[in-house]
Amino acid sequence: MMETVKLNKLPVPTFSHLGVNYAERRPIEGEARTIAIESGITDISESSRCTVRAERGGRKSVTQYIGAGSDITVDTDIMIGDGACVTLVQVFDSRAAVVSRLNAKIADNAQLDLVQLYIGGDTVSDNKAELAGFRAGLKSDIAYTLSGSDKLDINFVAEHSGRKSVSAINVGGVMNGSADKVFKGTIDFKNGASGAKGTESEDVLLIGEDVRSRTVPVILCSEEDVEGSHGATAGRIGDDKIFYMRSRGFSEEEITRLMSRAKLAHVINRSDEETKRRIYGALGWGDEDE
Amino acid sequence: MSELLRIEDLCVSAEDKELLHGVSLTVGSGETHVLMGHNGAGKSTLGCTIMGSPEYKITSGRILFDGEDITHETADKRAKRGIFLSFQNPVEIPGVTLSEFLRNALEQLTGKRTKLWEFKKQLGAAMEALDMDKSYADRELNVGFSGGEKKKAEILQLLILKPKLAILDETDSGLDVDAVKTVSKGIDEYRKSTGGTLLIITHNAAILEALSVEKTHILSDGRNARDGDGQLAFDVLKNGFTEVLP
Amino acid sequence: MSQKTQISDVDRSLYDFRFDEDERDRLSSGISPDIITEISDEKNDPEWMREFRLRCLDIYENTEMVKWGAPIDGLDVSKIVTYIRPKSRMNTDWDSVPESVKETFERLGIPQAERESLAGVGAQYDSELVYHNVRSEAAKSGVVYTDLESAMHDERYAGIIRTHFMKLVPPTDHKFAALHGAVWSGGSFVYVPENVHLEIPLQSYFRLNAKGAGQFEHTLIILEENSSLHFIEGCSAPKYYEAGLHAGCVELYVGKGAKLRYSTIENWSKNMYNLNTKRALVEEGGSVEWVSGSFGSHVSYLYPMSILNGRGARAEFTGITFAGEGQDLDTGAKIVHNAPETSSYINTKSISKSGGASTFRSSVVINKNAAGSKSSVNCESLMLDNISRSDTIPAIDIKTDKCDVGHEAKIGRISDEAIFYLTSRGLSEEEARAMIVRGFADNVSKELPLEYAVEMNNLIGLEMRGSAG
Repeated sequence: MMETVKLNKLPVPTFSHLGVNYAERRPIEGEARTIAIESGITDISESSRCTVRAERGGRKSVTQYIGAGSDITVDTDIMIGDGACVTLVQVFDSRAAVVSRLNAKIADNAQLDLVQLYIGGDTVSDNKAELAGFRAGLKSDIAYTLSGSDKLDINFVAEHSGRKSVSAINVGGVMNGSADKVFKGTIDFKNGASGAKGTESEDVLLIGEDVRSRTVPVILCSEEDVEGSHGATAGRIGDDKIFYMRSRGFSEEEITRLMSRAKLAHVINRSDEETKRRIYGALGWGDEDE
Repeated sequence: MSELLRIEDLCVSAEDKELLHGVSLTVGSGETHVLMGHNGAGKSTLGCTIMGSPEYKITSGRILFDGEDITHETADKRAKRGIFLSFQNPVEIPGVTLSEFLRNALEQLTGKRTKLWEFKKQLGAAMEALDMDKSYADRELNVGFSGGEKKKAEILQLLILKPKLAILDETDSGLDVDAVKTVSKGIDEYRKSTGGTLLIITHNAAILEALSVEKTHILSDGRNARDGDGQLAFDVLKNGFTEVLP
Repeated sequence: MSQKTQISDVDRSLYDFRFDEDERDRLSSGISPDIITEISDEKNDPEWMREFRLRCLDIYENTEMVKWGAPIDGLDVSKIVTYIRPKSRMNTDWDSVPESVKETFERLGIPQAERESLAGVGAQYDSELVYHNVRSEAAKSGVVYTDLESAMHDERYAGIIRTHFMKLVPPTDHKFAALHGAVWSGGSFVYVPENVHLEIPLQSYFRLNAKGAGQFEHTLIILEENSSLHFIEGCSAPKYYEAGLHAGCVELYVGKGAKLRYSTIENWSKNMYNLNTKRALVEEGGSVEWVSGSFGSHVSYLYPMSILNGRGARAEFTGITFAGEGQDLDTGAKIVHNAPETSSYINTKSISKSGGASTFRSSVVINKNAAGSKSSVNCESLMLDNISRSDTIPAIDIKTDKCDVGHEAKIGRISDEAIFYLTSRGLSEEEARAMIVRGFADNVSKELPLEYAVEMNNLIGLEMRGSAG
């Protein structure tokens, strides 16, 4: 029997019968190539160690398009210096098991905009953002569309140690077939992070009757002067929405199609034109202007 | 004038409570009718039932549209026949822009996809007629819209979708004087450009003054209380229901 | 820096008096087959119960400690006295209860409450029930409220107890459930026949007086079809230097269309380990409502669980947890939707102050057979200072697309705007803070009968002492 490693550990374990405390994966053999991401779209199809660096006051807007045919591990290390700003778009469009580990350090007045889109696949994605600086900011928009026997396990920790640091994690997704998803999002307010704010939300549209959707939105807090909130909804399209759209002539299938696209809109709209074109292709959507 | 909508002895319940106890009315093609009554009289129930809301169950009676029985049709089929309901509380649809929604709806109704530039032109003209800021086209439908903006967006949909029968459920409520004028203008535009039929639920004289009302129907406790001509609506607004009801 | 006002700890003077128990009455500490047999002898257990206890001991020894939650390193079960022989047998006449025990309960206001507002009262002192009484009206309608040991020997109830006892919370559930099964003692048996509605509540009161002792009472409540009941449970203990352990078990069977409300005000002393297991099984159209106030104990693990097992079954959980100095209270609720069109509502508040830690933990599972179900979870936490801790760990597990699940949580402090608004209307800052905290706890206090709401407000002890001094 091959040994497995525990990934995506929930920072504070909970009832074990839920199976959310960690994800297990076999380690991937072989060398990882090292890539310093500077601009534009970087295609990733083999195990890689990526770095994204923005020095003081700098700006960077980059995309990782992860399209693997065999199992890979992608490590992404992000350093954002004082007053710098990074936008990273990650598109997961793979036919194999992918492990992604992302670690970001965000300094004074620095900002990370992280956009993630998961198109099917079998992905374990472990993300940690250290909001270490004064007014460090994180805005994370995440969307997934899963069907068949797709699997997705996302762990996201926003660690607030900087005063007045602000994080917002926004997740939307559509699940069909017998897809299985775990989303674990933690806002961790460390003592000393006075004035920090963190919000987190997940909104899942469930379509297939064999889906399994697990959500664990955690807030850890050892500082008085903070504001944290999380919200999660899961289920079908509301009856009021269905009636409204039907009254405008939409059939049940059309409503499902439109609402499924809507769940991804907040993420797709944040990609550049070329990435958008590739996403549309991967999703089998026609060009919106057609 | 040919008959467009006929409602026969309609009984409707929601959550096991009967709300309409045998309501009948007919509307001729191209006519404008007003539906009045106290709060809770069953006006909105009737409006939603004509549109096919699953919330309301028809226990007896029928609804005919263009001579065909639509009593048990779903809302999308009715929409395709040309029925439109302007909602009292339009639903927010996050992730779908107003323009995307309308272009798709138009495609559903007509069966063909309008070219983007052509659609944008149409939409722009209609928005101008309603004094709507163009940026609303790219905003998520009704998300973060004020009450007035939501109502305008409903009228905008009316102008683009051009139904045969428009049911306006208190489209004027909660609007300031200028907004009421704009909505009136929109309704007028709809009448002029399509010769469409209107069934209006309102308490507002300003909306009615701009229209020539053929008939007034008053509901009370889920029943027809009185039918009359257009003047009856103004009598009600002037003197109250107690004066005009037997 | 704005000045911090002090919110006083829960006033414990009412609970901290104690009477010395007689050393002879204690069985030796720890747990072994001999001690279990001794308990069985003492209680004259039926054969199946003797075997059950020993089997539980075996499970206990072979079960691992839980790996999550508040630390329980300070708890040494081998030092806990699991059974304390009573000074007197069960009484239904208050006058026959021994003076020292009687005085304890009188100081806690139990007989008075019975006279005023209860249909029945049970009072447990250390390991055994010492007093039990049901009003004649309730008894006439067929309601049974007695201690579990007597009921087990009564041929009318022996069968039903055997088929229900620890079937909902099996000893294999977790280590402390196994411990409970081995050493349980005392507790209540309530049976409400079909179509009987008990208008006034039943109450039981648990008092752990002996030091270094464990209380392992078992509450078994069975509601037949279309019946209803409100059961109130109160717990307290004086403070000793040795840690105490409470590992009770509550099993609630709610029949078709039946309605049970189960209220708890828990105020164990602050060196108590409160590892309690509570579970309800709700059949078609039935409902269970939990109202829970957690104020005492050093460490708590408490997550009442509702299994919605019949179409349309419903569960509601309303709770407040107040963690002060030296307390680590890990509380919440568990819901399993196991039938179509079931619904659950969780609404909790937690307050942390003076270095206390509170954790809200929940699990909502919507099984595949629960199409059309709804669940809504709402939790709010308030941090009153900068040395405390507050964690929120909810989990949702959905296995059907046909459901509507919503979750909301918020954490924060008393806003300066709220204080400003209230002080602008003439309140002092202390009063303003007290008012806000009391309002925050309102979700629970408004669900309690008036006298308990008053007791809870006393418990919160919102006497504000100006820090300006």
